[in-house]
Amino acid sequence: MGFLTPLFLVGLSALAIPVLIHLIQRERKRVVEFPSLMFVRRIPYQSVRRRRIRHWALLMLRAAAVALIVLAFARPFFRRDAAVIAATGGAREVVILLDQSASMGYGDHWQKARDAARAVVSGLGRDDKATLVLFSRNAEENMRATSDRSRLAAAINTAKVGSGATRYGPALKLAESILSRSPVKRREAVLISDFQKTGWSGSEDAKFPDGMTLTTASVASPSTANLSVPSVSFGRAAFSGQERVTVTAGLSNKGDEPLKDIPVVLTVDGHDIETARAAVAPHASASVAFAPFTLVGANVRGSIHAGSDPLPADNAFHFVLSPSEPVSIVIVDGLDRSDASLFLAKALAIGTRPVFQIDVTSASRVSPPTFDKRSVVVLNDTPFPPGSGGALKRFVERGGGVLVVAGDHTTLPTGSTSEADLFPGRLAGSIDRTSARSGSLGFLDYSHPVFEVFKAPRSGDFSAAHVFRYRALEAGPNDRVLARFDDGAVAAVEKKAGLGRVIVWTSTLDDTSTDIAVKPVFLPLVHQLVRYLAHYEAATSWFTVGQVLDLTARARTRAARIVVSPSGERTTQAGMGEGTEGLLELNDQGIYEIRGTGASGGRPEAIAVNLDPVESDLAPLDPSALVASVTGHATSVDVQQASPQEMTREDAERRQSLWWYLLLTGVGLLAIETTIANRLSRKEKFL
Amino acid sequence: MERQVTPGARFVDPKILARIGNLELLARTVVEGFINGLHRAPFFGASIDFAEHRGYVAGDDIRRVDWRLYARTDRYYVKQYEADTNTNVSILFDISKSMQFASRGIPKLEYGCFVGACMAYLAQRQRDRVGIITFDSDIVTHVPPSAKHFNITLHTLDRARAERPGNLGVPLNKMAEHFKRRGILILISDFYEEPDTILEAIKPLRFIGNELIVFHVLDPAELDFGYDDASSFEDLETGEQIPVVPESLRDEYRAMIRAHIEALTTKFSEHRIDYTLLNTAEPLDRALFSYLSSRERLMRVR
Repeated sequence: MGFLTPLFLVGLSALAIPVLIHLIQRERKRVVEFPSLMFVRRIPYQSVRRRRIRHWALLMLRAAAVALIVLAFARPFFRRDAAVIAATGGAREVVILLDQSASMGYGDHWQKARDAARAVVSGLGRDDKATLVLFSRNAEENMRATSDRSRLAAAINTAKVGSGATRYGPALKLAESILSRSPVKRREAVLISDFQKTGWSGSEDAKFPDGMTLTTASVASPSTANLSVPSVSFGRAAFSGQERVTVTAGLSNKGDEPLKDIPVVLTVDGHDIETARAAVAPHASASVAFAPFTLVGANVRGSIHAGSDPLPADNAFHFVLSPSEPVSIVIVDGLDRSDASLFLAKALAIGTRPVFQIDVTSASRVSPPTFDKRSVVVLNDTPFPPGSGGALKRFVERGGGVLVVAGDHTTLPTGSTSEADLFPGRLAGSIDRTSARSGSLGFLDYSHPVFEVFKAPRSGDFSAAHVFRYRALEAGPNDRVLARFDDGAVAAVEKKAGLGRVIVWTSTLDDTSTDIAVKPVFLPLVHQLVRYLAHYEAATSWFTVGQVLDLTARARTRAARIVVSPSGERTTQAGMGEGTEGLLELNDQGIYEIRGTGASGGRPEAIAVNLDPVESDLAPLDPSALVASVTGHATSVDVQQASPQEMTREDAERRQSLWWYLLLTGVGLLAIETTIANRLSRKEKFL
Repeated sequence: MERQVTPGARFVDPKILARIGNLELLARTVVEGFINGLHRAPFFGASIDFAEHRGYVAGDDIRRVDWRLYARTDRYYVKQYEADTNTNVSILFDISKSMQFASRGIPKLEYGCFVGACMAYLAQRQRDRVGIITFDSDIVTHVPPSAKHFNITLHTLDRARAERPGNLGVPLNKMAEHFKRRGILILISDFYEEPDTILEAIKPLRFIGNELIVFHVLDPAELDFGYDDASSFEDLETGEQIPVVPESLRDEYRAMIRAHIEALTTKFSEHRIDYTLLNTAEPLDRALFSYLSSRERLMRVR
């Protein structure tokens, strides 16, 4: 036996304390007056009996308690155990990385993987600790470092295959993090997976330092034949006031054998409306087009099921369709020209995603109802409509968009009116660039959604447009300048008010002050401006597992919402303005339902979530290549087994933790001693 | 409540005195004096009790010549009488701090006061002169013997307080120098000194022929050491504390105090000193009675 802090053993001298207590405390301070002690003094020793210890059990208890407490402080440990552990290489810290990605649902992969994990757990020594990490796209510590095999086994039994794609990087990084925190010398990670090649790009920054080993257990099958439905496309056509959709499903065969006569079923709102037959060549793709069907309402749920194979998850593809909603625009133009909005109207008349519904009116006819049910109001080179300032302001604050095309006729409210602060900057007089070289757009804020599509090279040449005349504008501190002319003057500026947006274009969008209307960038520019101002987002028919959805952006009400996942799990998302992020991580394949807590009528909003298509590619990776990449060694050699390291005294002491038991026993003995001493003192008049 | 007419008269318990009053307090030796009384005069003189004849020497009063004897013997003899006279009774009272001790009942000091008062009363009734000396390590109060000092004696007893440690040698030596006339000395103390030391201190009192009566006053606790609990025992006089487990040394203590008393008894009797051990737990009258009985018995023997 050894001691980590042997100096504390000096405290064993405290053993004298109980003896002294026995001898001294017994003589309580009771003084008896006596006339003379001349005879008492003559007796050789008066206090002989005082020194006689009457309660040996008490003394033993006190001495044992003190000794145990002192020994506990000296932190004892058994060298023999330490030596034994050292001979066997010492305890291990094991991280079991269990792949639960969707591909593990292939055949008996998951069963084999769990068996492998159980084998690792059963191979753990008495002092070994293991952490179970379940991973797919992300990694999560499912069971923190524990020596309790039953808990580990239970965690493995309850683990399920997920819908995520395989990514080894996060799991290996987490394992490295766990192992690096461990004080144990022998640190191992066991990776149990089907080793999909798509999960490892080689560029992951997952490196194990020396001393950590990575062991792999592959459950991959030799055959990787797999049919999947990686995508679906939709063709929309208007027919007698309704929208008809043609669904085309893509099929992918990752196997070596051709697939013939595969049944491909289109299901809409739970009804199989058509079954097509398809054939797919090995390592090839094919598509199946179904007959168009009429889209009668919003949130129509559909799915494609193709054939059957050992991995059924990717044989299905879900989608949600809603009829297209046009963006309603009212263009307010001047009084003197009937074709003032010709270019704008023509540009906006083109396009199906979205369809722009345009109404043109003159400023004199504008009244508050003009803005009802509109998404965007365009004030096209026109004086500000009289008497409509308040209505326009309310329209913007509720989320509407206003595009001010500032020509020579444009006037905006100024001064102390409430609607004056609706518009960005302060509009000044016209600047004429016809006398010399015409102006052009010199700066575009490509980070803004309006110009983001023009960011890539050859995605739109704004410099080709000539600008002959524009209005000077002094932008305010809170305004965002989106574009400037070559002389630095503001070309476009944005201001947000309430939920809505206002953009002032300081030149015209026709052929009077500029020739941009005849340039190729005109159409996308106008579309982008209106889409942005209308908060238009193309309806997404499906999402991929792992994507995060911002529910607040999709919210139509401020009420709280209940989200029902495909597995039936219900979560409540608080309403807007209640400080919640409103983010929904889409982890399950299938249809998510989002419904308000209060309203019961109408179809609930639905979101389709599909597997990541790469998860269907079961081509395996060579595990040794991954091990070599992570550890820097060609093979996972167990270095610790080869040369067992001496366990330190601290490790041995910490592992045995004898002090804890000694301290508890000591305190317990003290308690017993106190009880016995109290009883004895009650019995005896005077100890 | 008894009506007290004299200060200190409370010490004179009528019940005690009722029993003592039937006895005669007789002096062992003749004390000089001239008043008739129970005490025999130490000198021959005018008295009714014939003592002896002696030959006439020049200067003798010729009136004392026994002429009848001259007629028969033809020699001159003078008749000598033992004259009864009053004597000096001095109470020597030890008021050292140890006398304050009381385990149960009255303190030794108070008990000593009773004894002293009784003695003084008896002496006063015999028309003896009564005085008192209280002492501890030195003489504290001194009331010379006088026929008129009975009340003062009682008063002194009443005021006696045990406050200082005691020492027999010094005060008794001083007293010995002081006594010019023979008398009866009644010494009341607890005698916490070695017997030889005590005797050495008392001896001078005997030099001029004083009759010495010694009362050794002890508390029952001092005799039987009846303590049970181990305690710190504090010496009343020195303040010294000694941890003591009584049951372990009780036997030894008893043997020692017994040896002490026996030594005192032996040594006092060797020097013809009356010694009486008084236990404060015993009735006072019984103690006095036994003492006076013994004195009477002694007188008769003589």
